[in-house]
Amino acid sequence: MRKDQNLGEYLRTQGVSRRGFLKFCSATASLMALPPSAVAQVAEALASARRPSVIWLSFQECTGCTESLTRSHAPTVESLIFDAISLDYHHTLQVASGEGAEEARHAAMEENDGEYLLVVDGSIPLGNPGYSTIAGISNLDMLKDTAKGAAAVIAVGTCAAFGGIPQAFPNPTGAVSVSDIITDKPIINVSGCPPIPVVITGVLAHFLTFGTIPELDHLGRPTAFFGQTIHDRCYRRPFYERGQFAHTFDDEGARKGWCLYELGCKGPTSYNACATVKWNEGTSFPIGSGHGCLGCSEPGFWDHGSFYKPISAGLWGSKETLLGAAAAGAALGIGSAMAARARKNKAIKESEADSS
Amino acid sequence: MSALDSIAVQAEYETGNVVPLLHEIRHALERLLNGEDGTVIDMRSLPLAPGEEKRIEDALGKGEVHADLDALGPTTILETSYPGVWLITHRNTEGEVIGRFIEVTRFPSILESQPEDIRTGLTALGNRLAEDSA
Amino acid sequence: MTLLDFARGPALQWSLIILVTGIIWRIVGALLLSSRKDLSVARRKSGLNDGLGAIATRSLPAHTFEKRIRFQHVTGYAWHLALFVTVLFFGPHILFFESLLGFSWPALPNGIVLFSAAVALAILIALLIRRANHPVQKLISNADDYISVILCILPLLTGILAFAHIGGRYETLLAIHLLSIEALFIWFPFGKLMHSAMTFPARFQAGTSFGRKGIKA
Repeated sequence: MRKDQNLGEYLRTQGVSRRGFLKFCSATASLMALPPSAVAQVAEALASARRPSVIWLSFQECTGCTESLTRSHAPTVESLIFDAISLDYHHTLQVASGEGAEEARHAAMEENDGEYLLVVDGSIPLGNPGYSTIAGISNLDMLKDTAKGAAAVIAVGTCAAFGGIPQAFPNPTGAVSVSDIITDKPIINVSGCPPIPVVITGVLAHFLTFGTIPELDHLGRPTAFFGQTIHDRCYRRPFYERGQFAHTFDDEGARKGWCLYELGCKGPTSYNACATVKWNEGTSFPIGSGHGCLGCSEPGFWDHGSFYKPISAGLWGSKETLLGAAAAGAALGIGSAMAARARKNKAIKESEADSS
Repeated sequence: MSALDSIAVQAEYETGNVVPLLHEIRHALERLLNGEDGTVIDMRSLPLAPGEEKRIEDALGKGEVHADLDALGPTTILETSYPGVWLITHRNTEGEVIGRFIEVTRFPSILESQPEDIRTGLTALGNRLAEDSA
Repeated sequence: MTLLDFARGPALQWSLIILVTGIIWRIVGALLLSSRKDLSVARRKSGLNDGLGAIATRSLPAHTFEKRIRFQHVTGYAWHLALFVTVLFFGPHILFFESLLGFSWPALPNGIVLFSAAVALAILIALLIRRANHPVQKLISNADDYISVILCILPLLTGILAFAHIGGRYETLLAIHLLSIEALFIWFPFGKLMHSAMTFPARFQAGTSFGRKGIKA
């Protein structure tokens, strides 16, 4: 796609009919979790959409987010969206390396100053700049430098959005999220470990289509995908309402597909679209496979206690401390009783002395 | 058939979403008869248990019309046994489902020929006739 | 740390420590209080029967005043029963106890628990309104009574809201629910809620003492 072309023109040169384009728009609207009534609006906006430049920076991450996206599926609506953006820098995917790669980044930044979209996956270590560098540049410097001219920043994955596993206790690298560093740009957090590929592309599609930031929740996540909990949209929810729970992973309840709350499912406190969008082309999601939700789209999800501990259980259950408290209580009780006795005996003595 | 297909999957879950969905379709049909706009339901927005999508399909059944179109991959358009209720499945060129909708309408708009395409076709036809006569 | 992590972690830990320390302190303190040696001759030997008898008779309606206090009796019993069902037989509550005690028991269906929670809440609110308006009750009530009742209302109210997902995000509602219980834990040993630990021993003690004096408790 040439830079002076809009998406509508580009698709027509590719031999895509208007009907095909409308089909693409319905799928895209569905992808963006927009109501089907928005298809006409999407079609109008997409037809005239320009090809934005995207710079993708990877910091302290495992490449799982990129894997999630690129291995999602072969030529699809998502890939059409990727045709429609100009991915100018992504060091896992680009051919160029070393100086050449950095030149490409600088060229894209200069050419599209103030207009390019910055995508970040991975957290940023503040403990020591040497913990993670690219071409000798620390993650912190690269992020600050690249964010300067960006129109918006998309933090892909829980590491970039909230710190993720690098930030998990004891956070050896002093890892922080993108929003801890960048405060003067619109930031969209697309959390998840990894995020659902459709959600990543849905957010890109929204930016491509409307050129705006979608509506976000208080953690900066698009409400279209993160507006409801897994529990709210879970097909096993009726079992929760009826109090039918699997007690172990292989009991009668587990076989009957009952609610996994007792097995530590974090669905009630996790906001994501897995229960409806699902994974692997809509095949299933963790709960559909019989395992509770880990809550991977929530801040600090590694440090909320065991994945297998129910939400209603205390994060602390040490009987030793309670025994200690009981002992302390007993000591206090004995002490206060002794003191009371002493006062009483003294009073008796005094009254006996008075009366004699 | 892949090795996965040989595993007999038991899917007898019931979210209780099927009946409300059928009610929603009934209301949409009533609105359509009263001259109001049609309704589109995105299947992706429904929390469905394994096997429930199939149950919805079975509940809707097959009607008189079955159309296939080939634009950016195949799309099947099926009128269900309830006239006015259409099941539209968009697939990509790899055959993977990229969108699934229940449309309550007299005629799904995706089947209509689009002015832009008619214009392209008209030009092509004109060119062909010009070539033939030349 | 999120509010829910705080409520499930340190807040729970400290409130439980205060609860246990406070209860044991008060019970041990009360048990070890000396009483002056009774020099009078016992009318008859009193013992276990008198103590248990007092517990039984004082837990049953007092016939002389029954008409006048029927409302308190019925609501009192209903409230305690509904509270026990709600606290002890709701699935997620049992998971909480299991995480603390290491063992569990079967839960009741959610419908029954929700009904009993609603009953408990309604009774408590009715009793609070009555306490604030009834001339005699008003006169004999102090801050302790109001604090204790309100601290019992809050967990019930927030629990129902959390279960029904009304009024906020679930994690916030759950955290508030836990914090309201933790407030109750902290207040428990120092106010009238201690009656749950003291009532029966006190009745037992009164029974044996009366028995010695030859009074039928």
